[in-house]
Amino acid sequence: MKHWKLAVSLAAGLACAAAADKSGEWPSYAADLAGTRYRPLDQINASNFSKLEVAWRFKTDSLGNRPEYKLEGTPLMVNGVIYTTGGSRRAAIALDAGTGELLWVHGEHEGSRGAAAPRQLSGRGLAYWTDGKEERILYVTPGYRLIALDAKTGAVIPTFGDKGAVDLKLNDDQTIQPDLITGEIGLQSAPVVAGNTILIGAAFREGMTPRSMRNNKGYVRGFDVRTGKRLWIFHTIPVKGEPGYDTWLDESADYTGNTGVWSQITVDEQLGLVYLPVESPTGDYYGGHRPGNNLYGESLVCVDLKTGQHKWHFQLVHHPLWDMDISSAPILADIRVNGKEIKAVAQPTKQGFLYVFDRVTGKAVWPIEEKPVEKGSVPGEWYSPTQPFPSRPGIYSRNGISVDDLIDFTPALRDQAQTLIAKYKIGPVYTPPVESKVGGPLATLTLGTASGGTNWPGASYDPETHTVYAYACNACVTPIGLVAAPKDVSDMRYIAGTAGQEVSIRTGPGEGAGADSPLPTRRAAPAGGRGGGGGGGLNIQGLPLIKPPYSTISAINLDRGEIVWQVPHGDTPDVVRNSPLLKGLNIPKTGQSGYNIGTLITKSLVIAGDGQITTTPDHPRGAMLRAYDKATGKEVGGILMPAPQSGSPMTYMHNGKQYIIVAISGGAYSGEYVAYTLPNE
Amino acid sequence: MSHTLCRTSRVVAFACPLLLLANSVWDGVYTDEQSKRGAALYAKECAACHGTELSGGEEAPPLSGGAFMSNWSGLTVGELFERVRLSMPEGRPGTLSRQQNADIVAYLLSFNQFPAGKTELAKDTDILKQIRFEAQKK
Repeated sequence: MKHWKLAVSLAAGLACAAAADKSGEWPSYAADLAGTRYRPLDQINASNFSKLEVAWRFKTDSLGNRPEYKLEGTPLMVNGVIYTTGGSRRAAIALDAGTGELLWVHGEHEGSRGAAAPRQLSGRGLAYWTDGKEERILYVTPGYRLIALDAKTGAVIPTFGDKGAVDLKLNDDQTIQPDLITGEIGLQSAPVVAGNTILIGAAFREGMTPRSMRNNKGYVRGFDVRTGKRLWIFHTIPVKGEPGYDTWLDESADYTGNTGVWSQITVDEQLGLVYLPVESPTGDYYGGHRPGNNLYGESLVCVDLKTGQHKWHFQLVHHPLWDMDISSAPILADIRVNGKEIKAVAQPTKQGFLYVFDRVTGKAVWPIEEKPVEKGSVPGEWYSPTQPFPSRPGIYSRNGISVDDLIDFTPALRDQAQTLIAKYKIGPVYTPPVESKVGGPLATLTLGTASGGTNWPGASYDPETHTVYAYACNACVTPIGLVAAPKDVSDMRYIAGTAGQEVSIRTGPGEGAGADSPLPTRRAAPAGGRGGGGGGGLNIQGLPLIKPPYSTISAINLDRGEIVWQVPHGDTPDVVRNSPLLKGLNIPKTGQSGYNIGTLITKSLVIAGDGQITTTPDHPRGAMLRAYDKATGKEVGGILMPAPQSGSPMTYMHNGKQYIIVAISGGAYSGEYVAYTLPNE
Repeated sequence: MSHTLCRTSRVVAFACPLLLLANSVWDGVYTDEQSKRGAALYAKECAACHGTELSGGEEAPPLSGGAFMSNWSGLTVGELFERVRLSMPEGRPGTLSRQQNADIVAYLLSFNQFPAGKTELAKDTDILKQIRFEAQKK
């Protein structure tokens, strides 16, 4: 593998000027290993948020051989240096925290291995480690290699792994198929370092249309931060003889794959416990080849930090069929419930339930009841007769569809929505997918599934008030229809599709998009394919099918298990505000549909950007970065950004000034980190 | 025909109807025939991620509806064209010809119910940058 770097000697000098007060730093992806995204800084507050100005900006176009429009990183800040990933190369970079000047950059050319990676582009960030003398940066390349760099210079650490890299496709208690180059496994999240242990999960292609029921497995491993030596492994799909293997009937654990931990891992260093949010097994929407409950699919699993040994688990969804994954970092919260102190872990989800457990024992803080759910009728499918329903807190975003959830600005629009959904099956959470039929149902219309609720950005937590702040998409509709898979497409009996349309493999952003993917050849592509045109998709005369609010931020008190406040997040979309059909109606702020918004919590504020561009009477074309009063949810400030927030914001103090960095990109705007601070008086 | 020629020569004004007559996507800036070609290309090159109904995939953004419209409103067709040309199809950016990219953009305009006209969408970025993308007809 070739790598390249640019080192500027400034880095060493800056790193030496270590600040004694660490509360102004942001040393890991989610601020800390507890997943809080919280820093008790208050220089930027309600009185001045709207005065924020750009301190510096860093465009990521040149960190790869093509621009990236999906910048999702959250930078770290340690000792006056910003560390993050960026660009289609997923380069690791160090920037001056005060000026944004590039201090060093490191990229890995992985050739065909990088081109075949399931999760390409810049990823979500990296990890920092120090023993008080040495400082290291750890990140995972698109080709699934763990790289250790000297934080001061960006140079690879030659004594780590094999010349600075650990090949994560090796030493994984499985032989990655079909080979190390094209074998499907990768990771886009930031590694986590706890003590001297690096924690690494795994990610795969989008799972709606697997090419096979067989796939590589997403085990979790711990590695020594000094040597890169594997310390332990946890089998997210139990192997024969391990507890949980019997939850895979017909020995389907042997060949089923995925079931990785692609989101952020959380650690309680004092307890020595690691919390793993495990994703869906192979086949997001069809589980006929994996009968049984499928542990540890869609389970929160607690393992020992030193050994990886299983401590406890809770399966949020039995026999997963809705791509609910567990999509974000578990949050550690020391709470007080009915006078009793509890070391808790709270898990936000796509399905809008916040699951809260005693993080030592795994016991639910409030009862979680197994309730009967509808059994579906897709041939060959196995259905769990029940699913767990948390009793508290109540759901914080929609997780099913009823007629009452449909657009209701006018009776005519509601009527049209009802006509549209007549072609689909609807129902509450855990309504099963259907076999798509031309005469209907085309699919099960779902909310709170693939892109609903809280997704990869996760939620935030205020340890002072014991409050979780969670952004959630409230109107991200996913139609789940299944069609028989042609043998040349997949060996699955069913994959996602729509009756009457060509069955094909669906890919997700990032797949084949990184800098190692084939370069343009400027050949003329052959004509062909099907004709068509027109149609309106799942909207009603251009308006969202689902009624507002399209997204919310919720404050959820964990001592009481109550939603304290909930507000729509984001400008009312232009299409709603400007619709001639709605002229004369007074429509309150609706928020915006979208799943990639993360929140930042400071001493007094909840901060999050809009996920969509708008042009309103109040501001020209752009997307707002907003501040809310933590106590009430009242919006107390905002500044206009040139593009939507695409990576979650972070904050830090540097030379007496507070900064906020947010990753923005999308549409015509390529990836950029923008740092904001207050003007000099 | 080059954009420069269009700008500098009055003689060929008749040959540059888009530049001189069309100001926005509401002015019939593509043809039905072109959008049909674009539809075929879309099905082959784009639908796997963005969906057959342009409603987006699990992560790929929708290419129709409110978010798409507001994302591009206030910019130009040229900027939309350049985004497609430079970054799509995602795994093979730059592999489609300018004509194919123009056809796909024509299909996007058609699907989003902007009217067709008698002149095809050009494949010259500078010309396309003269066409405003406006979600609302003014």
